[in-house]
Amino acid sequence: MKKAAVLMYWLITAAAFAAVVARVFWDTPEEATMGIIQKIFYIHLPVAINTFVACLLVFVASVGYLTTRRVWWDDLAMAAAKVSVVLCSAVLLTGMLWARGAWGVWWTWSPRLTFSFMLWLLYIVYLLVRASIESSQRRAVVAAVYGVVAFLDVPLVWLSARLLPDIHPSSIGLTYAMKLTLWACFVPVTLLAAGLIVARYQLARQQRARRDATSIHGFEPVMPIVPDGGGV
Amino acid sequence: MSSTLRQIVTLTAKDLRIEGRTRQTMGLVLVLGVLIVSVLGLGFGQSPELARMGTPAILWVAYLFSGVLCFEKTMAVERQDGALAGLLLAPIDRGVIYASKLISNLVLMLAVAAVITPVGILFFGFDLSPAPGGFVLIILISMAGFAAVGTLFAALVSSSRLAGGLLALVIFPVILPLVIASTQQMTAMFRDGASPGGTGMTILLAFDAIFLVTSWLVFEVVLEP
Repeated sequence: MKKAAVLMYWLITAAAFAAVVARVFWDTPEEATMGIIQKIFYIHLPVAINTFVACLLVFVASVGYLTTRRVWWDDLAMAAAKVSVVLCSAVLLTGMLWARGAWGVWWTWSPRLTFSFMLWLLYIVYLLVRASIESSQRRAVVAAVYGVVAFLDVPLVWLSARLLPDIHPSSIGLTYAMKLTLWACFVPVTLLAAGLIVARYQLARQQRARRDATSIHGFEPVMPIVPDGGGV
Repeated sequence: MSSTLRQIVTLTAKDLRIEGRTRQTMGLVLVLGVLIVSVLGLGFGQSPELARMGTPAILWVAYLFSGVLCFEKTMAVERQDGALAGLLLAPIDRGVIYASKLISNLVLMLAVAAVITPVGILFFGFDLSPAPGGFVLIILISMAGFAAVGTLFAALVSSSRLAGGLLALVIFPVILPLVIASTQQMTAMFRDGASPGGTGMTILLAFDAIFLVTSWLVFEVVLEP
């Protein structure tokens, strides 16, 4: 039952992706000055917005962990951080492709590019911090404090990036059909982001449950009692 | 004098007295800072024009690395002979511990800046005369924010028995807005002859305010003997 629901969810996401890609290429007018490269925008912007939502989730989960000390908050923060790094990488990659097409360079230190890059660095470091602490309780505390600080840093990063000279489009004149495509593109991207976070979160819960079950009274068996691959 | 203030003064005096007697932090940090400035100076040796314009950025690189080492060292002092456990058992607020560590770190960092900055100015022929007061003001405000974040993360990382490199890793991405705003203010002052202010100044002040308050609030959960 649950497996079927999960499969259904991913099928819907894939179908939505196929639908919006078809719409982007066949049913949306081409932008006048930039041409076909502008179409990357329909994926670029929804992914960027979802990145912020994932970062916000890291913050909320970090505060949740610090105030309640429930471990599932920590698992949620980790899942959201991983997805935010993946999404932010996608923002940077699509942005670089777009920059190459529209400005002729892969990279320029313009505010939004700098901002995305700094955001990416902030959350990559979050994952590195997690990976380098062994004690799971201590890891949760350190990661939560860093998660709070990193998110509070985001508006400052945004403001400071704006001190740099700008060539990024702050708004593109969109026709009604283009706006519709943009809004439609939010659906599959958001479904993908949410699905990834939930999947990673559930995996973390299962890993934790298994670790707790195999290390009774702090005893860590050399060989796992439950064999890998789900046997028995 | 209120009791909180007295506690902060006592703890800060303790930190500075230890440093005054052992000089274990300052010696290392100062030499590191001067080394960084020299290495960058040698790298820029072929183009003195570039180095002159880049002096604020070069100085910031030196401040950042010396700062990380400084914060790490002052927190490592508490690791010896269970000093931190004693401190945590004392009937004082954790915020007081944070404030005292922050002040001693800030004093040390300002001392470091007072040595590294003239070295940089000397090496690169940077002209401070257009706005000496503005320069000092920007450095003061930036160092406060840097020390606020640095003190918090030093405590966080030191309680987790982590390798030294990690402290730089967590501080640098968080501190980037401060560095950008600070260098922008310097450029505005020394190249364009503007007075400090505008968005850059707002960012510096906002950074200080946000991270002083946040660090004070979360320091409670950070410390572990």
